Amino acid sequence: MGELINPHEIYLGTFFERFNMRFGPADPNAVSHWLSGGITEIAALQKEFEIFKTGRRFLESVALLGLGGDAVGPAKDRWIAYLEKLPKMKSDDAEQTGDARIVNALVANFLKGEPLPCFMQALDGRTVDPGHVIVSEGEPLFYLEPTKFLVISLPMRPKSAPGRG
Amino acid sequence: MRRQAGSEDVNAAGRARSAADLAAVHRTIESYYSTRFRQFGATPLGVDWSCVATQEMRFVQLLKLCEIGADCSLNDLGCGYGALLALLARRHPASAIDYVGIELSAAMVRSARRRWRGHPGCRFVQGEACPRQADYSLASGIFNVQLDQPCDLWEAFIRTTLDGLAASSRRGFSVNFIAAPAGRAIEAGLYATTPGPWLGYCASRFDAAVELVTGYGLREFTLLVRLPRVA
Repeated sequence: MGELINPHEIYLGTFFERFNMRFGPADPNAVSHWLSGGITEIAALQKEFEIFKTGRRFLESVALLGLGGDAVGPAKDRWIAYLEKLPKMKSDDAEQTGDARIVNALVANFLKGEPLPCFMQALDGRTVDPGHVIVSEGEPLFYLEPTKFLVISLPMRPKSAPGRG
Repeated sequence: MRRQAGSEDVNAAGRARSAADLAAVHRTIESYYSTRFRQFGATPLGVDWSCVATQEMRFVQLLKLCEIGADCSLNDLGCGYGALLALLARRHPASAIDYVGIELSAAMVRSARRRWRGHPGCRFVQGEACPRQADYSLASGIFNVQLDQPCDLWEAFIRTTLDGLAASSRRGFSVNFIAAPAGRAIEAGLYATTPGPWLGYCASRFDAAVELVTGYGLREFTLLVRLPRVA
Protein backbone atom coordinates (compact mmCIF):
# COMPACT_ATOMS: atom_id res chain seq x y z
CA MET A 1 0.00 0.00 0.00
CA GLY A 2 1.19 3.52 0.72
CA GLU A 3 -0.91 6.61 1.13
CA LEU A 4 -3.02 7.53 -1.86
CA ILE A 5 -2.08 10.76 -3.55
CA ASN A 6 -4.56 12.68 -5.67
CA PRO A 7 -3.58 13.39 -9.27
CA HIS A 8 -3.75 17.15 -8.68
CA GLU A 9 -1.38 17.08 -5.68
CA ILE A 10 1.30 19.06 -7.41
CA TYR A 11 2.17 21.05 -4.26
CA LEU A 12 3.37 18.02 -2.33
CA GLY A 13 6.94 18.71 -3.36
CA THR A 14 6.92 22.09 -1.64
CA PHE A 15 6.64 20.41 1.75
CA PHE A 16 9.58 18.15 1.00
CA GLU A 17 11.47 21.20 -0.19
CA ARG A 18 10.83 23.10 3.03
CA PHE A 19 12.08 20.19 5.10
CA ASN A 20 15.12 19.69 2.90
CA MET A 21 16.10 23.35 3.03
CA ARG A 22 15.80 23.58 6.80
CA PHE A 23 17.59 20.25 7.37
CA GLY A 24 20.11 20.54 4.56
CA PRO A 25 23.86 21.15 4.80
CA ALA A 26 24.66 24.53 6.33
CA ASP A 27 25.70 26.98 3.64
CA PRO A 28 28.54 29.24 4.80
CA ASN A 29 28.10 31.45 1.75
CA ALA A 30 24.34 31.70 1.66
CA VAL A 31 22.86 34.99 0.55
CA SER A 32 19.57 34.22 2.26
CA HIS A 33 19.75 34.87 5.97
CA TRP A 34 16.76 32.72 6.73
CA LEU A 35 17.84 29.42 5.23
CA SER A 36 21.58 29.47 5.60
CA GLY A 37 21.82 27.66 8.93
CA GLY A 38 20.55 24.32 7.68
CA ILE A 39 21.24 21.34 9.90
CA THR A 40 23.45 23.47 12.18
CA GLU A 41 20.48 25.63 13.03
CA ILE A 42 18.16 22.68 13.58
CA ALA A 43 20.76 20.93 15.75
CA ALA A 44 21.03 24.03 17.94
CA LEU A 45 17.24 24.20 18.23
CA GLN A 46 17.13 20.49 19.09
CA LYS A 47 19.75 20.96 21.81
CA GLU A 48 17.88 23.87 23.38
CA PHE A 49 14.28 22.68 23.05
CA GLU A 50 14.43 18.92 22.43
CA ILE A 51 12.08 19.35 19.52
CA PHE A 52 12.32 15.72 18.44
CA LYS A 53 11.71 13.42 21.34
CA THR A 54 10.89 9.76 21.66
CA GLY A 55 7.18 9.52 22.25
CA ARG A 56 6.41 12.88 20.67
CA ARG A 57 4.79 12.66 17.27
CA PHE A 58 6.68 13.84 14.23
CA LEU A 59 3.77 16.11 13.32
CA GLU A 60 4.09 18.02 16.61
CA SER A 61 7.77 18.68 16.01
CA VAL A 62 7.11 19.72 12.44
CA ALA A 63 4.62 22.28 13.74
CA LEU A 64 7.23 23.77 16.11
CA LEU A 65 9.57 24.20 13.17
CA GLY A 66 6.91 25.80 10.98
CA LEU A 67 7.52 23.33 8.19
CA GLY A 68 4.08 23.98 6.77
CA GLY A 69 5.46 27.46 6.18
CA ASP A 70 3.11 30.08 4.86
CA ALA A 71 1.18 27.59 2.77
CA VAL A 72 -2.50 27.49 3.53
CA GLY A 73 -5.46 25.65 2.20
CA PRO A 74 -6.16 22.14 1.03
CA ALA A 75 -2.59 21.18 0.10
CA LYS A 76 -1.32 21.90 3.61
CA ASP A 77 -4.34 20.16 5.12
CA ARG A 78 -3.64 17.02 3.10
CA TRP A 79 0.05 17.10 4.02
CA ILE A 80 -0.88 17.28 7.70
CA ALA A 81 -3.40 14.49 7.16
CA TYR A 82 -0.61 12.37 5.70
CA LEU A 83 1.67 13.03 8.68
CA GLU A 84 -1.17 12.17 11.05
CA LYS A 85 -1.23 8.68 9.55
CA LEU A 86 2.45 7.98 10.19
CA PRO A 87 1.83 6.36 13.60
CA LYS A 88 -0.33 3.75 11.86
CA MET A 89 2.15 3.05 9.10
CA LYS A 90 4.86 0.41 9.15
CA SER A 91 8.54 1.04 8.77
CA ASP A 92 11.68 -0.78 7.73
CA ASP A 93 12.12 -1.61 11.42
CA ALA A 94 9.48 -4.14 12.42
CA GLU A 95 9.60 -2.84 15.99
CA GLN A 96 8.70 0.73 15.10
CA THR A 97 5.81 2.51 13.43
CA GLY A 98 6.58 4.88 10.60
CA ASP A 99 6.28 7.83 12.96
CA ALA A 100 8.51 6.36 15.67
CA ARG A 101 11.07 5.31 13.09
CA ILE A 102 11.47 8.87 11.83
CA VAL A 103 11.50 10.48 15.27
CA ASN A 104 13.94 8.00 16.77
CA ALA A 105 16.27 8.24 13.79
CA LEU A 106 16.29 12.04 14.05
CA VAL A 107 16.92 11.91 17.80
CA ALA A 108 19.83 9.52 17.26
CA ASN A 109 21.19 11.71 14.47
CA PHE A 110 21.20 14.79 16.68
CA LEU A 111 23.03 12.95 19.42
CA LYS A 112 26.01 12.59 17.09
CA GLY A 113 28.77 15.14 17.36
CA GLU A 114 28.11 16.27 13.83
CA PRO A 115 24.61 15.27 12.76
CA LEU A 116 24.03 14.39 9.15
CA PRO A 117 21.89 16.70 7.06
CA CYS A 118 18.52 15.13 6.37
CA PHE A 119 16.66 14.57 3.14
CA MET A 120 12.98 13.72 2.76
CA GLN A 121 11.55 12.17 -0.36
CA ALA A 122 8.56 10.23 -1.64
CA LEU A 123 8.88 6.50 -2.14
CA ASP A 124 6.87 4.60 -4.72
CA GLY A 125 4.56 2.74 -2.39
CA ARG A 126 3.54 0.32 -5.15
CA THR A 127 6.88 -1.26 -5.69
CA VAL A 128 9.45 -0.93 -2.93
CA ASP A 129 8.69 -2.27 0.55
CA PRO A 130 5.03 -1.45 0.04
CA GLY A 131 3.68 0.97 2.60
CA HIS A 132 6.82 1.13 4.70
CA VAL A 133 8.54 4.29 5.86
CA ILE A 134 12.23 3.78 5.18
CA VAL A 135 15.05 5.62 6.94
CA SER A 136 18.61 5.13 5.81
CA GLU A 137 21.92 6.89 5.39
CA GLY A 138 23.03 7.60 1.87
CA GLU A 139 23.73 10.02 -0.92
CA PRO A 140 20.33 10.75 -2.46
CA LEU A 141 21.56 13.71 -4.50
CA PHE A 142 24.28 12.75 -6.95
CA TYR A 143 25.15 16.40 -7.53
CA LEU A 144 25.99 16.81 -3.84
CA GLU A 145 28.17 13.72 -3.56
CA PRO A 146 29.91 12.80 -1.37
CA THR A 147 27.61 14.54 1.13
CA LYS A 148 25.88 11.90 3.17
CA PHE A 149 22.35 12.42 4.42
CA LEU A 150 19.90 10.78 6.74
CA VAL A 151 17.27 9.89 4.15
CA ILE A 152 13.60 9.68 5.11
CA SER A 153 11.44 8.04 2.46
CA LEU A 154 7.67 8.32 2.75
CA PRO A 155 5.56 5.76 0.87
CA MET A 156 2.98 7.11 -1.54
CA ARG A 157 1.04 5.84 -4.49
CA PRO A 158 -1.23 7.45 -7.02
CA LYS A 159 -4.89 7.35 -6.16
CA SER A 160 -5.69 5.77 -9.51
CA ALA A 161 -3.34 2.85 -8.93
CA PRO A 162 -4.45 -0.49 -7.56
CA GLY A 163 -3.38 -1.01 -3.99
CA ARG A 164 -1.18 -3.73 -2.67
CA GLY A 165 -0.61 -5.26 0.67
CA MET B 1 19.35 43.31 -5.34
CA ARG B 2 21.61 42.98 -2.35
CA ARG B 3 22.76 45.28 0.37
CA GLN B 4 26.10 45.80 2.03
CA ALA B 5 26.52 45.34 5.74
CA GLY B 6 26.10 48.19 8.22
CA SER B 7 28.73 50.81 8.91
CA GLU B 8 31.93 50.11 10.75
CA ASP B 9 31.59 53.42 12.56
CA VAL B 10 28.12 53.83 13.95
CA ASN B 11 28.77 56.65 16.40
CA ALA B 12 26.37 59.53 16.39
CA ALA B 13 28.73 62.43 15.91
CA GLY B 14 27.53 64.61 13.07
CA ARG B 15 24.84 62.19 12.05
CA ALA B 16 21.88 63.19 14.17
CA ARG B 17 18.59 62.86 12.35
CA SER B 18 15.48 64.85 12.96
CA ALA B 19 12.54 63.63 14.96
CA ALA B 20 10.51 63.82 11.78
CA ASP B 21 12.92 61.46 10.02
CA LEU B 22 12.69 58.95 12.85
CA ALA B 23 8.92 59.28 13.02
CA ALA B 24 8.83 58.36 9.34
CA VAL B 25 10.95 55.29 10.07
CA HIS B 26 8.52 54.25 12.79
CA ARG B 27 5.57 54.69 10.43
CA THR B 28 7.27 52.51 7.84
CA ILE B 29 7.98 49.80 10.40
CA GLU B 30 4.42 49.98 11.72
CA SER B 31 3.02 49.62 8.22
CA TYR B 32 5.28 46.67 7.37
CA TYR B 33 4.46 44.67 10.48
CA SER B 34 0.78 45.47 10.39
CA THR B 35 0.70 44.07 6.86
CA ARG B 36 2.53 40.92 7.96
CA PHE B 37 0.14 40.56 10.86
CA ARG B 38 -2.93 40.90 8.64
CA GLN B 39 -1.52 38.20 6.38
CA PHE B 40 -0.34 35.65 8.95
CA GLY B 41 -1.97 36.60 12.25
CA ALA B 42 -0.55 35.94 15.71
CA THR B 43 2.07 33.47 14.55
CA PRO B 44 5.86 33.65 14.12
CA LEU B 45 5.31 34.41 10.42
CA GLY B 46 3.13 37.35 11.45
CA VAL B 47 6.17 38.92 13.12
CA ASP B 48 8.56 37.76 10.40
CA TRP B 49 10.15 34.76 12.07
CA SER B 50 10.30 31.34 10.46
CA CYS B 51 8.89 29.32 13.35
CA VAL B 52 8.24 29.11 17.07
CA ALA B 53 11.57 27.42 17.71
CA THR B 54 13.78 30.10 16.15
CA GLN B 55 11.63 32.83 17.69
CA GLU B 56 12.11 31.32 21.14
CA MET B 57 15.80 30.63 20.56
CA ARG B 58 16.28 34.39 20.27
CA PHE B 59 14.36 34.98 23.47
CA VAL B 60 16.54 32.44 25.27
CA GLN B 61 19.66 34.39 24.30
CA LEU B 62 18.18 37.76 25.24
CA LEU B 63 17.02 36.45 28.61
CA LYS B 64 20.59 35.44 29.51
CA LEU B 65 20.87 39.03 30.69
CA CYS B 66 18.19 38.65 33.31
CA GLU B 67 18.22 37.32 36.83
CA ILE B 68 14.58 36.49 36.92
CA GLY B 69 13.45 36.42 40.50
CA ALA B 70 10.27 36.82 42.42
CA ASP B 71 9.87 40.49 41.64
CA CYS B 72 11.47 41.33 38.34
CA SER B 73 10.26 43.92 35.88
CA LEU B 74 10.74 43.61 32.14
CA ASN B 75 10.11 45.78 29.08
CA ASP B 76 9.67 43.93 25.78
CA LEU B 77 10.18 46.45 22.99
CA GLY B 78 8.70 45.30 19.67
CA CYS B 79 6.73 42.65 21.50
CA GLY B 80 4.46 41.67 18.61
CA TYR B 81 1.64 39.52 19.94
CA GLY B 82 3.49 38.83 23.20
CA ALA B 83 5.17 35.56 22.27
CA LEU B 84 7.86 36.09 24.92
CA LEU B 85 5.23 35.60 27.61
CA ALA B 86 4.66 32.02 26.50
CA LEU B 87 8.32 31.16 27.01
CA LEU B 88 8.45 32.98 30.36
CA ALA B 89 5.37 31.10 31.53
CA ARG B 90 6.98 27.77 30.64
CA ARG B 91 10.48 28.43 31.94
CA HIS B 92 9.73 30.66 34.92
CA PRO B 93 6.28 29.60 36.08
CA ALA B 94 6.97 30.56 39.68
CA SER B 95 8.11 34.10 38.91
CA ALA B 96 5.73 37.03 39.07
CA ILE B 97 7.25 39.10 36.31
CA ASP B 98 6.02 42.66 35.90
CA TYR B 99 5.89 42.75 32.11
CA VAL B 100 5.18 45.59 29.69
CA GLY B 101 5.08 44.85 25.97
CA ILE B 102 5.57 47.80 23.63
CA GLU B 103 4.62 47.55 19.99
CA LEU B 104 4.21 49.97 17.08
CA SER B 105 1.43 48.04 15.40
CA ALA B 106 -1.96 48.77 16.90
CA ALA B 107 -3.35 45.53 15.45
CA MET B 108 -0.69 43.51 17.25
CA VAL B 109 -1.29 45.33 20.53
CA ARG B 110 -5.00 44.53 20.29
CA SER B 111 -4.19 40.91 19.56
CA ALA B 112 -1.72 40.69 22.45
CA ARG B 113 -4.24 42.16 24.87
CA ARG B 114 -6.83 39.59 23.81
CA ARG B 115 -4.34 36.74 23.92
CA TRP B 116 -3.00 37.54 27.39
CA ARG B 117 -6.15 38.88 28.99
CA GLY B 118 -6.19 37.72 32.59
CA HIS B 119 -2.49 36.88 32.63
CA PRO B 120 -1.18 38.47 35.83
CA GLY B 121 1.37 41.26 35.74
CA CYS B 122 1.34 42.04 32.05
CA ARG B 123 0.15 44.92 29.94
CA PHE B 124 0.66 46.10 26.39
CA VAL B 125 1.05 49.61 25.06
CA GLN B 126 1.31 51.02 21.58
CA GLY B 127 4.40 53.12 20.97
CA GLU B 128 8.00 53.25 19.83
CA ALA B 129 9.67 53.51 23.26
CA CYS B 130 9.39 51.98 26.70
CA PRO B 131 6.97 54.01 28.82
CA ARG B 132 8.59 53.23 32.16
CA GLN B 133 11.85 52.14 33.74
CA ALA B 134 12.14 48.42 34.42
CA ASP B 135 14.90 46.18 35.68
CA TYR B 136 15.52 44.90 32.17
CA SER B 137 14.48 45.69 28.62
CA LEU B 138 14.66 43.30 25.67
CA ALA B 139 14.18 43.83 21.96
CA SER B 140 14.18 40.94 19.54
CA GLY B 141 14.64 41.46 15.83
CA ILE B 142 13.65 45.10 15.74
CA PHE B 143 16.78 46.20 13.88
CA ASN B 144 16.65 43.58 11.14
CA VAL B 145 14.06 44.75 8.64
CA GLN B 146 15.48 47.95 7.23
CA LEU B 147 13.38 47.88 4.05
CA ASP B 148 14.46 50.75 1.81
CA GLN B 149 15.57 53.14 4.54
CA PRO B 150 19.00 54.71 3.94
CA CYS B 151 21.67 53.06 6.06
CA ASP B 152 22.60 56.24 7.94
CA LEU B 153 18.98 56.87 8.85
CA TRP B 154 18.51 53.27 9.95
CA GLU B 155 21.60 53.46 12.13
CA ALA B 156 20.29 56.70 13.64
CA PHE B 157 17.09 54.81 14.43
CA ILE B 158 19.16 52.06 16.10
CA ARG B 159 21.15 54.57 18.16
CA THR B 160 17.99 56.35 19.29
CA THR B 161 16.40 53.05 20.22
CA LEU B 162 19.46 51.86 22.14
CA ASP B 163 19.55 55.19 24.00
CA GLY B 164 15.90 54.71 24.92
CA LEU B 165 16.49 51.14 26.08
CA ALA B 166 19.36 52.29 28.31
CA ALA B 167 17.25 55.07 29.78
CA SER B 168 14.36 52.73 30.54
CA SER B 169 16.44 49.95 32.14
CA ARG B 170 17.87 49.89 35.64
CA ARG B 171 20.07 46.83 35.28
CA GLY B 172 20.49 46.36 31.57
CA PHE B 173 19.03 45.56 28.18
CA SER B 174 19.60 43.07 25.41
CA VAL B 175 19.20 43.27 21.65
CA ASN B 176 20.05 41.15 18.63
CA PHE B 177 21.29 41.74 15.10
CA ILE B 178 21.72 39.75 11.91
CA ALA B 179 25.40 38.90 11.53
CA ALA B 180 26.82 40.20 8.28
CA PRO B 181 28.46 37.46 6.24
CA ALA B 182 32.16 38.17 5.93
CA GLY B 183 32.90 40.30 2.90
CA ARG B 184 29.55 39.67 1.29
CA ALA B 185 26.23 41.37 0.82
CA ILE B 186 22.97 40.22 2.32
CA GLU B 187 19.53 40.15 0.78
CA ALA B 188 17.91 43.50 0.17
CA GLY B 189 15.76 45.00 2.87
CA LEU B 190 17.66 43.51 5.79
CA TYR B 191 20.19 45.20 8.04
CA ALA B 192 23.22 43.08 8.89
CA THR B 193 26.27 44.16 10.80
CA THR B 194 29.28 42.94 12.73
CA PRO B 195 29.31 42.98 16.53
CA GLY B 196 32.17 45.45 16.97
CA PRO B 197 30.52 48.76 16.13
CA TRP B 198 27.40 48.27 18.24
CA LEU B 199 29.24 46.59 21.07
CA GLY B 200 31.58 49.58 21.15
CA TYR B 201 28.69 52.03 20.95
CA CYS B 202 26.91 50.50 23.94
CA ALA B 203 30.07 50.12 26.00
CA SER B 204 31.22 53.70 25.55
CA ARG B 205 27.92 55.54 25.48
CA PHE B 206 26.38 53.79 28.49
CA ASP B 207 29.61 52.93 30.36
CA ALA B 208 28.27 49.39 30.22
CA ALA B 209 29.72 45.91 30.37
CA VAL B 210 28.65 44.36 27.09
CA GLU B 211 28.62 40.61 26.53
CA LEU B 212 28.52 39.18 23.03
CA VAL B 213 26.50 35.99 22.53
CA THR B 214 27.01 33.94 19.37
CA GLY B 215 27.00 30.30 18.36
CA TYR B 216 23.35 29.50 18.93
CA GLY B 217 22.73 28.18 15.45
CA LEU B 218 21.31 31.34 13.91
CA ARG B 219 23.23 33.76 11.74
CA GLU B 220 22.87 36.43 14.33
CA PHE B 221 24.44 37.77 17.49
CA THR B 222 23.02 39.07 20.73
CA LEU B 223 24.36 41.86 22.91
CA LEU B 224 23.77 41.72 26.66
CA VAL B 225 24.30 45.26 27.95
CA ARG B 226 24.78 45.47 31.70
CA LEU B 227 24.47 49.02 32.92
CA PRO B 228 26.53 50.45 35.77
CA ARG B 229 24.79 50.46 39.12
CA VAL B 230 23.55 53.88 40.14
CA ALA B 231 24.45 54.74 43.73
